[in-house]
Amino acid sequence: MTTTANIPADTQTSLERVLCYLQGKNPQRIAAFPLILNHAARILGKPVGVYNRNGEVMGNSHVAAYKRYGHDLILIFSTTSTLGEAMGTKMAFLDEDAPQIAEPLIQKLDDIKKVHMPDPMKDGRLPVYLEATEICVREIGKETCVSTVLAGPFTTAAALRPVDLFAKDLVKNKEWVHELLEMCTVAGIRFIDEMLKRGSLPIIVEPIGSGSLVSPKHFHEFVAPYLKRLADHIHKNGGGLPAVLHICGKTTPNWTPMLEADFDIWSVDNVDLGKAKEAVGHRICLVGNVTPANLLKNTPEEIDAEAKEICAKAMGNPRGFVLASGCEVPINTPPANVDALINAARKYGRFDN
Amino acid sequence: MARDREEILKDMADAVLNMDEALTVKTSKEAIATGLDAFDAITHGLVVGMNKAGELYDQEEYFVPELLLCSDAMYAGIDILRPHLRKEDTEDKRKCVIGVVEGDTHDIGKNLVKIMLDVAGFEVHDLGRNVPLASFIEKAKEVDAEIICLSTLMTTTMDGMATIIEMLKEEGIRDNFKVIIGGGPISQAFANRIGADGYADNASSAVRVARDVLSSVKA
Repeated sequence: MTTTANIPADTQTSLERVLCYLQGKNPQRIAAFPLILNHAARILGKPVGVYNRNGEVMGNSHVAAYKRYGHDLILIFSTTSTLGEAMGTKMAFLDEDAPQIAEPLIQKLDDIKKVHMPDPMKDGRLPVYLEATEICVREIGKETCVSTVLAGPFTTAAALRPVDLFAKDLVKNKEWVHELLEMCTVAGIRFIDEMLKRGSLPIIVEPIGSGSLVSPKHFHEFVAPYLKRLADHIHKNGGGLPAVLHICGKTTPNWTPMLEADFDIWSVDNVDLGKAKEAVGHRICLVGNVTPANLLKNTPEEIDAEAKEICAKAMGNPRGFVLASGCEVPINTPPANVDALINAARKYGRFDN
Repeated sequence: MARDREEILKDMADAVLNMDEALTVKTSKEAIATGLDAFDAITHGLVVGMNKAGELYDQEEYFVPELLLCSDAMYAGIDILRPHLRKEDTEDKRKCVIGVVEGDTHDIGKNLVKIMLDVAGFEVHDLGRNVPLASFIEKAKEVDAEIICLSTLMTTTMDGMATIIEMLKEEGIRDNFKVIIGGGPISQAFANRIGADGYADNASSAVRVARDVLSSVKA
């Protein structure tokens, strides 16, 4: 086991630490963002399927997870297709996993007429997220940063349309794709406004914009312009909040057009953070990137070693660095591995020595 | 005026590579009209274009949309040529079964691997997505497959791959099949840990890995 004896004590609260990033100051030690989503249900001891559909359980799960781990970012979220669900895609709900897309709304191009412009207070599970957000802001919002997550327009569009057809639409039906992305952008902004009203930081995830799926050219044409609208909206209406973007998988080929979207913080997954620091560190605060599957399968000692290596690469990033998991902390991750990630931030991410 | 074989084959390959379905159909019809052998036209025309698309995908010049459109063009051409194939052209292919393991419905990666294996001359039996673990083994036995290909994007379902390998062992038939795995959370280390025969990190490398594991059988 990792010994706790040589782990330096924190001298800042979680919120103080995160605010240092926004003020451009060095915190006592870097923040740690294990991206805890559905895993929070495990800490409260509730089924993941209940967490997903019950705002009170979702909120209480995250409060319990924060009390257990003391991590620096609360993420109210279950599934990337949630906004698409509120706009008409049918989901399949599972007892012990996040819901999955059962039937995308737009089977033929003309089905775009069926797309529903969502009311975040009413449609799909958006009210679940908002209720959970309210609970977390009320219970722990003075100690730590509470965020609510939504999928970006490109990912939401791919939740409304079978993703293989959507991929081909990018070449064959460009105007149609732009029309759909416009709707997804407006829906996203509506949801963001409700998050801001509740004092939560909106975070955008755009996994379908991963470099495993789309080229820099398509990112520039279809992903960046709409993401930028969301970032601009947050900058304008967020009272100084940063715009935060998460894209999982391989993103390296798309870093250049990703910059066009004008986000301040990138949470990245399967990339070399040393290269990211070189390439974009002058503009972007980097968040990453302990391998999610390793959190599930490896020992705390191995997580410590992986995190140490990541810190060695990313510390000194001009716009700051947060130690995090590359993507969602797997639901059945042993809690000792989350502890190991956070302790690694205490050990290898210090500015006070 | 009839053009020669080389020209037609090159146009077929280029039409696939350029995602031009209409031109692929037109040149495939021209191949038949000119009296080219259908098997020759597929393997030295259409498949050449698709393999080039696979190389560009490997080099991050092409991405998923381009690869899917190239394959649409290729299959449109194959539809024209297939009725003209001789029986012996389609025999003796090496067989594999492929699918996304139970609990997961993400199948883009699996579909790309399926296309590239097909192009490489394998007979591919696609079980689809969210496939019950026992179905992989049943199908592999039924079609006498040499390779079982397993895909998943989720950390919640990756252990299903280990279960399939355990099931093969329990039945005493582990050595009858090569098991190749891939997908977002999968790594060579995970493949080693669960005793899989191969790990592929993208659709092009899946073909190389499939050939490698089979050549180790022959050796």
